[in-house]
Amino acid sequence: MKKKVKTLLAMNSRNYISVFFSDEEPLLQAVRKLLASNETILDVRSPFPVHGLDKLLSIKRSRIPVGGFIFGALGATLAFSFMAWVFTVSYPLIIGGKPYFAAPSFIPITFECTVLFAGISMVAAMLIRSRLKPDIRFVPVDEKITDDLFVVLIDSANGKTTLEKIRSALSDIQTVEIR
Amino acid sequence: MDEQFNFTNKYRNILIVMMAGGVFVSLCTILVFKTGASRIWANVLLNNQLFLGISLGAAFFIAVHRVSLSGWHTILQRLPDAMTTFLPVAFVLMLLIYFGMGNIYHWSNYEGHDAVMEIKKAWLNVPFFFIRMIFYFAGWISLTWLMRRSSIKLISSSDIKFHNRRKILAGFFLVFYGITVTSSSWDWIMSLDAEWDSTIFGWYVFIGMFVTSLTVIIMLTWFLKRAGYLKYLRADHVQDLGILLFSFSIFWTYLWFAQYLLIWYSHIPQETIYFIRRLEGFKPFFFINLVVNFVIPFLGLIRISSKRNLNWVALIALIVLIGHWLDYWLMIMPAAAGDKAGIGLVEVFMTIAYAGMFIFVLFRSLARYPLQIKNDPYLEESLNYES
Amino acid sequence: MFQSPLRKPLIEGTKSYRSITTDIIDPMMNKPGKLWYFGVTLSGAAMMFGLFMMFWTVWQGIGTWGENRTVGWAFEITTFVWWIGIGHAGTFISAILLLFRQKWRNSINRSAEAMTIFAVICAALFPLIHLGRPLLTFFIFPYPNTRGVWVNFNSPLVWDVFAISTYFTISLIFWYVGLIPDIGTVRDKLKKGFKKSIYNFLSFSWKGSARDWHRHEITSIMLAAIATPLVLSVHSIVSMDFATSVLPGWHTTIFPPYFVAGAIYSGFAMVLTLLIIARKAMKLEDYITVDHVESMNKILIATGSIVALAYIAEIFISWYSADEYEYYNLVNRVTGPYNWAFWIMIICNVVSSQLLWIKKLRTNLAFTFFLSIVINVGMWFERFVIIVISLHRDFLTSSWTMYKPTIVEFGLLIGTLGIFFTSFFLFIRVFPVISIFEVKSIHRISGEKKGKDLISNE
Repeated sequence: MKKKVKTLLAMNSRNYISVFFSDEEPLLQAVRKLLASNETILDVRSPFPVHGLDKLLSIKRSRIPVGGFIFGALGATLAFSFMAWVFTVSYPLIIGGKPYFAAPSFIPITFECTVLFAGISMVAAMLIRSRLKPDIRFVPVDEKITDDLFVVLIDSANGKTTLEKIRSALSDIQTVEIR
Repeated sequence: MDEQFNFTNKYRNILIVMMAGGVFVSLCTILVFKTGASRIWANVLLNNQLFLGISLGAAFFIAVHRVSLSGWHTILQRLPDAMTTFLPVAFVLMLLIYFGMGNIYHWSNYEGHDAVMEIKKAWLNVPFFFIRMIFYFAGWISLTWLMRRSSIKLISSSDIKFHNRRKILAGFFLVFYGITVTSSSWDWIMSLDAEWDSTIFGWYVFIGMFVTSLTVIIMLTWFLKRAGYLKYLRADHVQDLGILLFSFSIFWTYLWFAQYLLIWYSHIPQETIYFIRRLEGFKPFFFINLVVNFVIPFLGLIRISSKRNLNWVALIALIVLIGHWLDYWLMIMPAAAGDKAGIGLVEVFMTIAYAGMFIFVLFRSLARYPLQIKNDPYLEESLNYES
Repeated sequence: MFQSPLRKPLIEGTKSYRSITTDIIDPMMNKPGKLWYFGVTLSGAAMMFGLFMMFWTVWQGIGTWGENRTVGWAFEITTFVWWIGIGHAGTFISAILLLFRQKWRNSINRSAEAMTIFAVICAALFPLIHLGRPLLTFFIFPYPNTRGVWVNFNSPLVWDVFAISTYFTISLIFWYVGLIPDIGTVRDKLKKGFKKSIYNFLSFSWKGSARDWHRHEITSIMLAAIATPLVLSVHSIVSMDFATSVLPGWHTTIFPPYFVAGAIYSGFAMVLTLLIIARKAMKLEDYITVDHVESMNKILIATGSIVALAYIAEIFISWYSADEYEYYNLVNRVTGPYNWAFWIMIICNVVSSQLLWIKKLRTNLAFTFFLSIVINVGMWFERFVIIVISLHRDFLTSSWTMYKPTIVEFGLLIGTLGIFFTSFFLFIRVFPVISIFEVKSIHRISGEKKGKDLISNE
């Protein structure tokens, strides 16, 4: 939680250094180097998910699937018990000569509700956790990030991290720009 | 790269004990408890179907992966290939059913005076039954032998024509297999309930065979890894095996449910007789079948981390294999042996005997050639496979 | 990750990440060509005709249709099942091919998923208009009401409502979640203005952050994992509309998987119909290559063969069951008054796709296009055969009758085709037709020009 607040604050006050790359390999090399020299990386942005980046940045495996499973189970329970209640307590009817508690008949709807609850909850979780919401005033760090540019954002609020330091640290890696 | 399975004397001895011991105890049990002929022959059929299904499912595994240009399975391909060598033995064992036809296939005792059987006898008569059996096995044995041969040739030669050849053979095999696995299941299993029919039955048995063979592939992988082979096996390969076991167990359950729901819903006596026979007297087995073949693989393999652990996946595979043995039992026994059916020493030890025989044939075939096919064009990809 | 040299490149030509973006976005941003105007006008006209027929049905009543007491369902339910089936290919490509790690799906999944959504919309119109009193549609939903009744959860028709609503919802969010990064790309390519603020709004402030990508990837895989059984269940439930009855030709246990295989079959045919035109018109041949078409054709052979296998099972068991009604249904299909529909079905569904075993035909785009239309015609007739032939002659011979469709029903079929194609034409102008970020992510391994050549010089 603390890290996230720090990220947002740093972003807002523009106390960060951006290093731009044009491909995955130099990006990964640079990230390794920066982490080795104990720089705080605020964020890494790319036009597509970069393989191997998750491990480097120690991004823990998201628990969205767990949430999906729980909500799915909830959906299944709600659907099945509701139908069972309707046909055994609320308004029992003999339909097609079947018993009141016609369990096989309830399965299709139960399954659909499982999937519905699981799917919606996972997408909602993703949007909420990533703070993705429709915002007309959104401005990206650089317009080419969604095109062909990769960027590493380094925290420079601590004074020790300066432009020159980063430039020399990454001198042997192919960068497009450092600002 | 040149690791080759060594069929040691230790393994040989254990398997011979399994086979001999299994047969011996079964015979003793039969003599002591005077087991009915129908139950004995039903067991022969059950084990025939189980191990035949494992061999055919393995052939299907290989053929589908070849046709879909899949590369990940390449380091494991010799395992299912070796499993298909059991087919000639399965053929002989199925021919033996001739001697017990009357005990399990009640239609073979038909002597007239039944409107339904009068129509069916054009298909369900002993000569045609065995002609079809010979036809099925001829196709299966020859196609799997040809596929195996093309694969083995790639160990010594790097000519791409062998790879292309086995792709085409896989296509032929899939077409022949699709048709014959459905019709053979009508012949050998569905006709046990002679007055009953179900259009989905062939596909239900087909997928059951595939899941069963997957469990054996997984357990064989586990065994070889433990014995020090398959150095190149990664968690990524295990994950794919786990995914297949997980998803096809769910698919099997879907087919089971489709058949059950539709027959339950319409409640037509000609169809419901199938489930009534199995629910009257064998109710616990009926529901255990679902729990073991659906609930356990579903909950046990739903997490990605559990799919990557070979020990865990192999344990689930073992449980599912027993579950599918129970599924075959439910398909065969209540119809063939009626109220004389049961699960006792005969069932257990006959299966042990058959298992010994199957593993013996499998190990012998596995040991004949190296475990990796050196010149397989997808080998490099499989060795570096990342999921 | 290593790839065998046997594999053909999935992206042809020398591409940089920027050229991938411009290749895919330019057809969308530039002014549309004459072909697009022609297409939209034609399909728009069909759509207007269909919408009028829908109005006419609701205004005048179901009597404007050709249904009668014996044949209570015909054209509309056929077209309904047909559209649901077509929709299945999108989810199959998006979800099942993702789970089987088939990377070639990356350039076709976006348009296939869009196709699913439009197909489901077309299908969902039929339950609305086929009710005698469409204003009372809300009766189908289980809410506490003053009538004191609940819906009949035991009925496959109610299962349908839940299945199709769930399918539509999940398809929509799956499609949209995948679109978000690409909307971001479009947003960033636009200059300031009204259009840009719309895309900005729709892009959910996507910034390409690593953590966001991580969650996005996991959510996509999880949605694929649940969409897979969903796709199987939806068409199975639709098939149970028929299979839970006692009618010969309807009550047969193979219907659920058989309908699903048929759905994927017709769906892939429709994807091929759309993409063979789109790739040429939008100059996307480097992304939707002949190998993509060949892979889709292989799935056509597979599903076509499964459908053929199902026919064999049905035909054999019709005889084997020794049930005279079941057997007569088969005889009626082959020799009765609607047998022309039966033979169209056999030729278009079984014979046609078996031709694809020949590699030359598999890689021929013109043949594939022609075949894809033939298959969809065949699949429409398959549902017609199942529905009308089983209904018009069942148990009571005094109820035997014939069915003749009216112009209103033809209008509805044409109208839904109009809605479908108009929606697709509009879609290609508004959203990127190919999933830009997914194509970029496979470019390193599967692009023709691999490695360091990816650096753009602009």
